[in-house]
Amino acid sequence: MVSSHGTSGMLGEDGIHVDMNHLKSGEVNLGTSIMAINFKDGVILGADSRTTTGAYIANRVTDKLTQVHDTIWCCRSGSAADTQAVADIVSYHLNMYGVTNSEAPTTQVAASLFQELCYENKDALSAGIILAGWDPRHGGQVYSIPLGGSLHKQSFAIGGSGSTYIYGYTDAHWREQMTEQEGIDFVRSALQEAIKWDGSSGGVIRLVVLTKNGAVRHLYLPDNGYTGPGVTN
Amino acid sequence: MTSLIGQSENIGYSFSEPTSANVKQHSFYPYTDNGGSTLGITGSDFAILAGDTRSTSGYNINSRMVPKVFKIGGDDETGDGAQILLSVVGFAADGNALKEKLDTVVKMYKYQHGKPMSVSACAQRLSTILYEKRFFPYYVHAILAGLDEEGVGALYSYDPVGSYEREQCRAAGAASSLIMPFLDNQVNFKNQYVPGSGEGHALEPVKAEPLPKETVKALVRDAFTSAVERHIEVGDGLQLMIITREGIEEIYHPLKKD
Amino acid sequence: MPGFDFSNYNRNAALHARGVPLPKATSTGTTIVGCIYDKGVVIAADTRATSGPIVADKNCEKLHYIAPKIWCAGAGTAADTEFTTALISSNVELHSLSTGRDPRVITCMTMLKQHLFRYQGHIGAYLVVAGVDPTGTGLYTVHAHGSTDKLPYVTMGSGSLAAMSVFESTWQPDLDRQGAIDICAEAIKAGIFNDLGSGSNVDVCVIEKDQPTQLLRNYMKPNDRPQKERNYRFQRGTTAYLDQRVISKEDMKKYVTIETLSGDDNLAAGDNMEVDS
Repeated sequence: MVSSHGTSGMLGEDGIHVDMNHLKSGEVNLGTSIMAINFKDGVILGADSRTTTGAYIANRVTDKLTQVHDTIWCCRSGSAADTQAVADIVSYHLNMYGVTNSEAPTTQVAASLFQELCYENKDALSAGIILAGWDPRHGGQVYSIPLGGSLHKQSFAIGGSGSTYIYGYTDAHWREQMTEQEGIDFVRSALQEAIKWDGSSGGVIRLVVLTKNGAVRHLYLPDNGYTGPGVTN
Repeated sequence: MTSLIGQSENIGYSFSEPTSANVKQHSFYPYTDNGGSTLGITGSDFAILAGDTRSTSGYNINSRMVPKVFKIGGDDETGDGAQILLSVVGFAADGNALKEKLDTVVKMYKYQHGKPMSVSACAQRLSTILYEKRFFPYYVHAILAGLDEEGVGALYSYDPVGSYEREQCRAAGAASSLIMPFLDNQVNFKNQYVPGSGEGHALEPVKAEPLPKETVKALVRDAFTSAVERHIEVGDGLQLMIITREGIEEIYHPLKKD
Repeated sequence: MPGFDFSNYNRNAALHARGVPLPKATSTGTTIVGCIYDKGVVIAADTRATSGPIVADKNCEKLHYIAPKIWCAGAGTAADTEFTTALISSNVELHSLSTGRDPRVITCMTMLKQHLFRYQGHIGAYLVVAGVDPTGTGLYTVHAHGSTDKLPYVTMGSGSLAAMSVFESTWQPDLDRQGAIDICAEAIKAGIFNDLGSGSNVDVCVIEKDQPTQLLRNYMKPNDRPQKERNYRFQRGTTAYLDQRVISKEDMKKYVTIETLSGDDNLAAGDNMEVDS
């Protein structure tokens, strides 16, 4: 997501003022289409698989859906390095939490950790994260943590450069309490539309379905118009 | 794009001169450096002009076969009948435009005066052509070669805006800084002294004299195979043109392609 | 980590503000690749090091040792790839000694990404990490800013586009050892011939389970220098001098310690320079 650089910054030569125009040249970016939704039994995360350095596709089968706990996952957009680092740190803390408390962390705990890291380091990070998880107490939840490090609980969230093309689509087609299949179809067709219009999104569509039964991965290939193969684990 | 600090506001460091560094300027820049190198050497009855045939932009190769040496004032598009050679290195589009212009001028001269243009006249005319574009120059380093009125090899080298000089030898382009010292030493025998001819300042320098054609051809080939080893923009092929009283001989040698 | 010395930072910032350019570091142009096969992984590199448009080294080594069965191909700033891989190699060995287990590729990759992320891209190391460990075969790319990718075939450096075109057109999922070596060498050659930043020879490293790692230095030499046409040996006495002083070995011993190397003459020579005879 190249445009995200606009509000990220680096320290200027006095070490205090922030040079907002500074670009990390040659940085690997996830010029992305990502989303996560609530449905009847849990949440669904979805993402395209394109990673770019400038005009070059550095990875066409990227996995932007990252596990930070058993049934807490996130969609990453922005700088690949920044989002990987943040996800690794959150993952560490959540696993520590799980072991020390003998109880899995809630999605809200994970969201707080993400928000803290993204807010306190907003000067150095370009990370737009959508967090989604399922826990026994709250069921499925979706949180969005955009560039500045704010936290928004939503019924569904879209993000990345490709999301601008599907605000209308998602708004028109969104329904609360969809079935799993309806949810999958909603996410898949929305991402298909985002990929179609956004040049920096593309490749395959990856989905993760989070319910009381755990995490299930889906894969949809462009070869057959994103109709299959479907479940991969 | 938003900024916390205004464009005019400067951060006060005693050593930092106020600059417009954070003002991004977009401008049209019509020049490209297409790399490559050329080389000219004269002898008592010949002149050699050579150039590699690689055309580059950045780390990319545009083509492995783009000639940099041209026959000027020939009877047809093959260049037959020409008695002048021109090499151009730098921005290939300007080089081509310059070649076309000089070729036309030399042809027109022959049609209007009924005799071929002398090399010295052509050299002066080329200078004028280059200076005409003093404030939007041809981005090239040109070398002109032929035989003078006495039949001796003549070589003229130019800067992009028309300053020129007759020389014995000249290397131009990307690897000129690699080739020119080699030429100074091997053609003009710079830094070479006659062994045992004296002590200290009395040591006698090796006298430069015109080299035979075969020696010069070998020197040119060695200069280019060496330049290819150490300069990334030089390679693919070597185009050699030798002008003698008999006419112009053209030779092509493959060079390394990495 | 007792790391970098920043004591010249302010002076250099002042000089830079006054228009003094940064010193030129060697090599940004490179082609490096990696590819997994049924029993292991192959990485390969070209051998050209550049400083701007000038070739700084015609036969440098871009394949770095991390552990016996984990190797790294480096692109970007030569010094950064050299020191970063050496540092991680050292830490990996200590870690391996402390845990009593063979080092894992994912451990190296994680250490590299965390090190590079901490320096926010200022350490210009672009790496391909490959190896086999108790968990299987690993192949990763690590970018200077600290992002990583895991793929069956990878390319990096200025020649990565040329090299990737070979993989994207000829790679197939069930390669054997020789098939993997061939496709890697072919990809490097695409970089050597089509990218000006890459050149000279192909180095290959093959890492396979239950097999010693093979470093095939100069696996291919598609760019040997043609024979020079003339002999450039100067006659003794050609160079002018104003004064000469002969210092005997005995006199020299007053200023330095002299040790004579015994045995093979080539031992001290290293890579020989080409000299006319």
